[in-house]
Amino acid sequence: MMLAVPIALPLLAGAVLPAFRWKRKAARNAYVLGMTVLASLLLAWALAAPSQEPVELLRFTSRLTVSLKADGLGRLFAVLIAVLWPLTTLYALEYMQGEAKQDSFFAFFLMSYGVTLGIALSANLLTLYLFYELLSLSTLPLVMHGGSGASVQAGLKYLYYSLGGAAFAFIGLVYLVYFGGTTDFAYGGLFTQVDIRHSAQLRLGYLLCFLGFSVKAAVFPLHGWLPTASVAPTPVTALLHAVAVVKSGVFAIIRITYFSFGAALLQGSYAQHIPLALAAFTIVYGCAMAFRERHLKRRLAYSTVSNLSYILFGALLLTPQGLAAGLMHLVFHALMKITLFLAAGVYMVKAQADDVRDLRGLGRSMGLTSGVFVLGSLAMTGIPPLIGFISKWSLGVSAVTLGGALPVAGLVALLISAVLTGAYLMTPSFTLYTARRAEGAGEPEPLGLPMRITLLALAAAMVVLSFYNQPLLDFLTRTASGLM
Amino acid sequence: MDWIAPMMVALPLLAAIPCWALGRKKLAWGYALMIAMTALETAAALWLLARGSTFSIAFPQIMGLGIRLKVDGFRALYAAVAGFMWMMTSLLTPAYMAHGHKQARYCFFTLLTMGATLGVFLSDDLISAFLFFEIMSFTSYCWVAHEQTPGAMRAGQTYLAIAVMGGMAMLMGLMMLYQQLGSLAFDDLAQLASTPGTSLYLPGALILAGFGAKAGMFPLHVWLPKAHPVAPAPASALLSGVLTKVGIFGILVISSRLFFGDVLWGNLLLGLGLINMFLGALLALFSTDLKRTLACSSMSQIGFILLGIGMQSLLGEHNALAAQGTVLHMLNHSLIKLCLFMAAGVIYINLHQLNLNDIRGYGRGRWGLMACFLVGAASISGIPLFSGYASKTLLHESIVEYIVHLQEIGQSALWYQLAEWVFIITGGITFCYMLKLFIALFIDKHPTRQAEFDGMGRSMTALPAIALGGSALLLFALGLWPEGTLTPLANRTLSFMHAHEPAHAVVFLAPVNLIGGAKSLLIGLLLYWLVVRRWLMGKAQEGRPYLNRWPHRLDLEDSLYRPLVQGLKQLGIAVCTPLDKLVDGFLGPFVWRASALLASMLGGVERLFGPLYALATFTARTLEVMVDGLSVVLVRTILRPAGEPAGPPPVGNRFTHSLGRAADRLSLGFRRLLGRGAQPPPRYSVVFAGIWHTMQDTLRRLLRTLSFSLILFALGLVLLLAYLLTR
Repeated sequence: MMLAVPIALPLLAGAVLPAFRWKRKAARNAYVLGMTVLASLLLAWALAAPSQEPVELLRFTSRLTVSLKADGLGRLFAVLIAVLWPLTTLYALEYMQGEAKQDSFFAFFLMSYGVTLGIALSANLLTLYLFYELLSLSTLPLVMHGGSGASVQAGLKYLYYSLGGAAFAFIGLVYLVYFGGTTDFAYGGLFTQVDIRHSAQLRLGYLLCFLGFSVKAAVFPLHGWLPTASVAPTPVTALLHAVAVVKSGVFAIIRITYFSFGAALLQGSYAQHIPLALAAFTIVYGCAMAFRERHLKRRLAYSTVSNLSYILFGALLLTPQGLAAGLMHLVFHALMKITLFLAAGVYMVKAQADDVRDLRGLGRSMGLTSGVFVLGSLAMTGIPPLIGFISKWSLGVSAVTLGGALPVAGLVALLISAVLTGAYLMTPSFTLYTARRAEGAGEPEPLGLPMRITLLALAAAMVVLSFYNQPLLDFLTRTASGLM
Repeated sequence: MDWIAPMMVALPLLAAIPCWALGRKKLAWGYALMIAMTALETAAALWLLARGSTFSIAFPQIMGLGIRLKVDGFRALYAAVAGFMWMMTSLLTPAYMAHGHKQARYCFFTLLTMGATLGVFLSDDLISAFLFFEIMSFTSYCWVAHEQTPGAMRAGQTYLAIAVMGGMAMLMGLMMLYQQLGSLAFDDLAQLASTPGTSLYLPGALILAGFGAKAGMFPLHVWLPKAHPVAPAPASALLSGVLTKVGIFGILVISSRLFFGDVLWGNLLLGLGLINMFLGALLALFSTDLKRTLACSSMSQIGFILLGIGMQSLLGEHNALAAQGTVLHMLNHSLIKLCLFMAAGVIYINLHQLNLNDIRGYGRGRWGLMACFLVGAASISGIPLFSGYASKTLLHESIVEYIVHLQEIGQSALWYQLAEWVFIITGGITFCYMLKLFIALFIDKHPTRQAEFDGMGRSMTALPAIALGGSALLLFALGLWPEGTLTPLANRTLSFMHAHEPAHAVVFLAPVNLIGGAKSLLIGLLLYWLVVRRWLMGKAQEGRPYLNRWPHRLDLEDSLYRPLVQGLKQLGIAVCTPLDKLVDGFLGPFVWRASALLASMLGGVERLFGPLYALATFTARTLEVMVDGLSVVLVRTILRPAGEPAGPPPVGNRFTHSLGRAADRLSLGFRRLLGRGAQPPPRYSVVFAGIWHTMQDTLRRLLRTLSFSLILFALGLVLLLAYLLTR
């Protein structure tokens, strides 16, 4: 039962937040941060117990239940979310200082935390689907927070894409129940021995399910909501649209590929080739579009589009090595992207630098932010020994080991994308230091303590993880082989 | 003792930030730290070289793949060379950069590059080499872009673009190699490569592209003639002298381990080497800028080294001469370029100009500067008794050996004889442009400013003099007696290249070798009189200026690479933008219209349901009122109890009695307190009894109505549902 507590606590805490009448902002901020940290600690405690039994919450029929379980993959995602959410909440407390409707913002922010943990700890596809839909709903007000026409449009676009995607995913759910009898997650899938008559239908079902979940995973051509959602406040884009929401999409795809339909069913068929081709194309497409973009957050959003397909590429190779590489990139990219987005947010709110051109010459006056931004850019480009290189190397080796035209084409796409990433991330990083500030540009405001702590913590995490990552890599390899 | 290797790599990296911080406070301290660090590294490397130690050390946990370092003869030698060059250029830097900008930043990146370069030289597997190679590429970018002029930024852009793309090609090659061989450690490569079924040409070519880009190998050489001149002169010396050798190091590794004795690979490198040496020499001949000439000369000498590596592969087991020649030419070229670039640096310190027409005649009467320049120039031209002669002789001998070998087995050696002639002619061109530089600097007179030049004080202060003089002295000493100094050094390094000591020692001053050298020198002299003095210098009336006759459009970078990259970029945008518009333009409006249609349909349905809903509500309410009204009517008419009299006062129960008495007493007390004597107080026990009675009566009536029954029914349904759900 302990697994349900970290999910329920933020949900309830967020739901009741608007009911209180907060006399002082500091009290509300303390409440939000306290609840987030408490939920993370409770999660750590719940995961410390080695029990692997699923915890049933609701039972519709014998085949349809809402249950929670903490297997290796679930633990990984849950811990990732639990570490990054308090940091981003801390950052958001300073970022949102001047904004309106903060109470409702933090209420939904807190609720989204609980929902994302629910996705991570789901024991079957029905539970995942439930929390997945809830995530769309709970993050919608965050996207629309600005209240301007653009924000509302972005929110509606996000909603339509998400609901449409969920509808397709539902088809996969139905296929699973019909052919597999249950929606539970089991490593290797539910169809290790399946009739030839059914395998064609199942592959079609998988493809539709993949397309459905790939909306949140921002695969071309269903990625359109992500760059538009950049109008949301930076903590939202950073955490939700670079870490929680999009990683939920990727997580869901990994679950259906390895734990529901199974690699044995999909290997070598069009149900593997089409998603793999889409992922390979998206890798280059995202980078090409990022290169063209001038708005800083939209550029980073397109970069996310590209990097998510790295993870999908690794996972869709359908080998344990590929999955391990994909999971490596899942963790490392989350860290790098959140760092970049939070730094971009600092530039936007303290120096009014929305555009890449506005970054010129800011290196001197915003030393910490620029240093962290350059570190994140170097890591994202894949410069050894930083973490981005480790995951790229693993992806490359997995692709080459598997062989075949499509994996090698994907590898070439990966390397092209690395060059392009260097182009669109390192160039602004250099102009931070080598160019001059525009005439008449004001001095940037100084950073408060919460933002400093967050940026330093994330940079330190990246550096430490670059050098000390063997336990994590072992865990990922064991998870990818189904041993956890 | 093992810890020396990682310390040699880590210390400069760690010292970079303190050096920068110190330099910001007071520049002299920053420079002092930098010089001290480089001196320390040189001393450590020399110590390792002297001891002849060989050991390796591994760190498996870092970066998920592990770092392996090793020290042996070759590595100790090259670490010593690198350390020495860094130390000497650090001695020159304070004078060079006096009144320059961002000096602390320069020191920072210099130390980082030093650490990374030593990391490559000391690495023991390809992944560690790649790690430090990438770090080195990025930190050395800041040398190229240091001056931040438009030319420097453009050259830096080219440099970085080629370094990154080369790095990516190399990464692809490394991945493919790893997949085929299973390990990337240097010691394992040779053994694993000989297993049948491995096709190593493609990964080998990709890795060659990566390392070759850094070495300035054709066709990825385009950054070299532009980047080396725009960097500060000390950095140019290091770029030309050491960083190119890093690329060569990588090529050496894969040649000697993956392609040992491979004829195809050897011919490839031989061909590329010949192109490099000839093209570089030609570019240097036509150049009118001092540093650009030296940069193109580097490109040419890299060609010699590549030729040596190619001959190593071709000669197979008998490649001792080629191996010795390669290593010695690497060593010599590093020291030569150190001397020459530092001399150029000294000239720049005094004149702030580098065009030959502006600096000609500066060196007249400056014997110290002339001596140092002479040592370097003579060495690179291959004049006997200077060190370059030794290495060029060895390389020449290796070609001749191969020709003889081919003739012995009856195959045609035509191509290699041609190669030998290209070698000799290029040697001649080298002598020619060095002569041109020497004459321009030290013999010619400046048409207008000669008196001013002669009047200028000493060209070098103390530190630059030590730096330049020390380097020249070392170079001179090595060249005087090559059999005693250079050959033993070379023999120490042979194990790295999987070569053996030669069967017989080479006598450098033997007649046959002297004749070969003389051929080059004669050709060079001829070229000077015919080409340079006749064609590349202008009319006597204008003071015989040096002309730049190289066709402008013959620049590979501007005519091929930049348009290609632009084209690809445009292609990418042209492909992706319509797709993006399609998705946004089609999918978006489609979704909007579909949802609008759906909404209107649902609205219609709701409108249809509206009257039905209203009807249902009305019916329900009516029924309810009817039923309740019916029961009220029944109570008041048929079921009314007949003639209800006033009835006895309500009885109540014990509770109402006690409560009533208590309330009575309380109200009496209050009345006395408030002094309201007159009216008698109500009897609360009666009141409470009455209330109680009414309550019971109402409850009884309530329990008998239909609404209550329905409420209970609904409650029961809800409870049942909850039970079913949570069962």
